[in-house]
Amino acid sequence: MKRFLVYFTFFSNLLFAFDQEATYLVLNHFDEPLSDIDQSLIDNFNNASFNFDESVNLLFDDVDSDNNPASKYMDQIKELGNIHHVNYILLNKIKHIDDRIIMEGLLFNTRSGGLVHRRKINVKDYNNGSVNEISLWVGEIRNKIQKQWEEARESIMFLNPEEISYDKTPMGAALRSLAIPGWGQAYSGNPLSAGIWAALELSLSLAFISSYTNYDTSSKSYLQNLKLYDATDDEKEVSAYRASAEKDWDDHVMYSKLAIALAGSTITGWVSNSVHAWVFGPRPYTNIYQKGLPQTAVPKG
Amino acid sequence: MFKTINFFSTFTFCSAIIFSQVKLDVNTIPTKVDIHLDGVNIGSSPIKNERISPGLHRFEIKKKGYAPLSYDLLVNPAQAVELDFFLNPIYECKFKTDEKGLVFELNGEHRWDVDLVRLRLEAGDHLLRVFKIGEIIDEQIINVDQPKKYNYFLKKPLSASN
Repeated sequence: MKRFLVYFTFFSNLLFAFDQEATYLVLNHFDEPLSDIDQSLIDNFNNASFNFDESVNLLFDDVDSDNNPASKYMDQIKELGNIHHVNYILLNKIKHIDDRIIMEGLLFNTRSGGLVHRRKINVKDYNNGSVNEISLWVGEIRNKIQKQWEEARESIMFLNPEEISYDKTPMGAALRSLAIPGWGQAYSGNPLSAGIWAALELSLSLAFISSYTNYDTSSKSYLQNLKLYDATDDEKEVSAYRASAEKDWDDHVMYSKLAIALAGSTITGWVSNSVHAWVFGPRPYTNIYQKGLPQTAVPKG
Repeated sequence: MFKTINFFSTFTFCSAIIFSQVKLDVNTIPTKVDIHLDGVNIGSSPIKNERISPGLHRFEIKKKGYAPLSYDLLVNPAQAVELDFFLNPIYECKFKTDEKGLVFELNGEHRWDVDLVRLRLEAGDHLLRVFKIGEIIDEQIINVDQPKKYNYFLKKPLSASN
C-alpha cells in the first residue's frame, strides 16, 4: 500500500510576469460544491480581479491526451479573453477519490492563448483542503503564499520519527526508579509492581541498617570488654570479660558478613528495579479487537 | 578561417544545448533528502536552478527512515519544472497476539503466524486480514501513525446466561 503524498508542479514558462492588476477568468470544475471558493479568492488576492464563469465546459478535457497540450485551446482561450476582457484564464479541476484530493490547475494567457502554468496535486484530504489547495495554487501564481496555508497542508503529514516526543518514556521510568524504588513502576501505571519493589527495597534497606547497627554495637562492645579485660586481675571478671569479648567478636563477624550481603542485595535490587522499570516502561501501543468481516464480504447463503 | 568557423560552430552547439535545457527546482518535505536524477546523485534537497534536458527522466528520492520514492517525468522543451515531494515516514512497529492458531496478512502481501513480529510500516492505513483454520475471520484497516506496538485480540463470545 503505497501512500506517497506526492504532488508535482509544472511551470510552463517562468519568464512571464504578472501585472499588479492582472485580471483572471476563473473556471471551476469540482465534483463537489465548494461554496466559499469564489469569495475566498477575492478576499485573499485583492490586487487581482477575478471573474467567474461556470458555463464554460470546453476546457475540461484531459489536455495530456493531446500532442501539444500547451496550445490545444489557443483559439478558444483568445476568444474567451476577448469576451471577458481578462489577461489570464484560470482553470481549476478538483476530484475526490477515496480520501484524496486530486487537483489540477491550468493557467492560460489570453494574449497568446497558450498554457503558461500548470500544477497537479494529489494529496490526502484534510480540513478545508480543497479551498486551501486552490489558495496555494493561486498564491503561487501571484507569488503571495500565506504561511497559514502551508501550515494547513503540512498538518496532514505524518511526524518525522526523530521528532516524535512522548510524555512518558522508559528512560523516564528507569531514572525515577533509580531515585526512589517503585516510582518508575508507579509512573508507568503499575501500582502493584511499584508496591512490591518499594516494599522489597525498603525491607532490604532496613535489614542492612539493622545488621550494620548490630555490627557496630558488637564492635564497640568487643572493644569495651577488651579494655575491661586488660584492666582487671580478678579471675572471675577476666573470665566473664573474655567470654563477652569472644561473643562480641563472633557477633561482629556475623553481622559484618550479613551487612555486606544485605548491602549487595540492596544495591543489586535497586539497579534491578530501575532496569525493570525501563523494560516494562511506558511505550505506545494500540489494542486491536476482532471486528469480523464487513457485511459486503460475508457470502450470502 | 577554419578555426573561426570551428569556434563559432562549437559556440552555437554549446549555446543550443545550454538554452534548450530546462530549469529544475526540487523541494521535499522533509528537507536534506538525496535526489537521484537518472541514477546520478544531484545533491540534497532543496535543489534550486539545476538544469535538466527535455525528455523522459526518472527521479529517485531516498532518505533513511522514509519510504523511497521514484517518479518518472516527461520534460517538455521550454518548460521550467518544479517538483515538490512529500516523503512518508517508516515506523518500527511490533505486532503481538496471545491468541492461538491465527494467521495474519497485511496489505495482501505479508503473512505471519507467530505471536510477535517486528514490522517496518509506512505511515498511513494498512489492511489487516486474520485467518483461522484457513478461513478469514477478520478484516480491518489499521492506522500507523507512530512507532508502537499493536496487540490483537479475538472477540470474546458472550457467556451464556440462564
